[in-house]
Amino acid sequence: MAQQEGYTIKLPTFEGPFDLLFHLIKKAEVDIWSVSIAEITEQYLAYLQSMRELNLDIASEFLVMAATLLRLKSKLLLPRSNLINEEETEDELFEINTAEELFQRLEEYRNFKEVAQYLREKEEEQKKIFLRSTGGQKVMVLTGQESVYTIWEGAQHLSDIMQRFSEVASAKEYTPAFSAVEDFVIADKADYIESTLQEKQRPMPMKSFVNGDSLWEIIVVFIALLEMARQKRVDLLQECHFGPILVSLKPKEEQHEEVNVGERTAENGH
Amino acid sequence: MEREQQKMVIEALLFLTEEPVTVKKIGQVLSVSPEEAESLVCELKENLSLSGRGIQVFETAGGYQMGTLPELAPHLEKAFSEDVSSNLSTAALEVLAIVAYKQPVTRVEVESIRGVRCEHVLDNLVKRKLIKISGRKEGPGRPRLYSTTADFLKYFGLKDLSELPELELESRPSEETGETLSRDAEIPAGVEQIKYDFENQNGDH
Repeated sequence: MAQQEGYTIKLPTFEGPFDLLFHLIKKAEVDIWSVSIAEITEQYLAYLQSMRELNLDIASEFLVMAATLLRLKSKLLLPRSNLINEEETEDELFEINTAEELFQRLEEYRNFKEVAQYLREKEEEQKKIFLRSTGGQKVMVLTGQESVYTIWEGAQHLSDIMQRFSEVASAKEYTPAFSAVEDFVIADKADYIESTLQEKQRPMPMKSFVNGDSLWEIIVVFIALLEMARQKRVDLLQECHFGPILVSLKPKEEQHEEVNVGERTAENGH
Repeated sequence: MEREQQKMVIEALLFLTEEPVTVKKIGQVLSVSPEEAESLVCELKENLSLSGRGIQVFETAGGYQMGTLPELAPHLEKAFSEDVSSNLSTAALEVLAIVAYKQPVTRVEVESIRGVRCEHVLDNLVKRKLIKISGRKEGPGRPRLYSTTADFLKYFGLKDLSELPELELESRPSEETGETLSRDAEIPAGVEQIKYDFENQNGDH
């Protein structure tokens, strides 16, 4: 923003209008309570002007303070009697009606600014003390046997790491794909197909052995049928390509014969 | 248990614990009074500093904690090169200072002291758990009240709030009063009036 080719202007940044005012007072080397409103207003406006010249964004709070200062200044020029009916200020942030009030607020702000400075010092001090695990700031994990410490920045707390570990650990056990297959064991399905066929005593389409709509079940049923055909327990009949596959039970006595001729799509690996 | 052994237990306890441990807790572990625990901790503290160790026991956030010596920081920083947490901004420190003294305090009260909007800073401090929303002020809009947390004390290595410097201008409000609408000049008279009206209205019902 303040940068043009090879030309940098550094302006101190202010936390707000009070901060700026406080800075101006300090620069003037006067006590807060003996500040001349006229002078401080002038300097304040001059600063805002320089900000504007540099095309810096001026926060609205700074402008409200400028207006407040001008109002205070103008009031000082007017005879006292005119001040009785004071109009209400809309913005409660700047409910400042007298220079006295302004000074008081500045004084209060100065107090907290000092505390903030004190906190900054304490922060620096505390930063020098390393803890085993500082409330999520530095978490150390022992990796391997060579006592290599690594700091995992993403961790907010030791519990994050514990969770990460448990996620990795449980990932091995949690295998949804396999568990789905296990629901349909080929041998069980074969038994089911055989018993159903025996019960119904008629050829049935392959579809009728698929109870759900899971792809896994269809695959298991198909593999079971192929297996059964290989073992010569069933006959498979498909009238045309992609047509329904009819399954019929092989008569017991035929089951041990070599090959049953027919339009079978069953195969045993060929 | 012998005194030396009791101190060893405290050392081990502080070594293992990430959070500050209260003397009450130490007392429970050793089956001694909190006062006795306090004196044991102080002895341990002294023993550690006299025997040239890299660690120390220090008081923070209402308890004791073990940490490294500050003068070792330049060396330790080489091992733990990444300074994970950046320092707080000046704005954040100013807001924290105000909340610490004025708590429980509303956003508007904080803003009136700083003369700047602070919503964003307050939100970030809540996220960092340095302050918390401790309740709501009775009155129009029931604004949130902010207070500092134990993490605030820990972050700055303060025993308690009394370790903060005295404010010159005004007397510090007591921390535990639920209703701390100070009668200071920075609270706009209008708000006071509205609050008063509101309370009276409530009383009528």
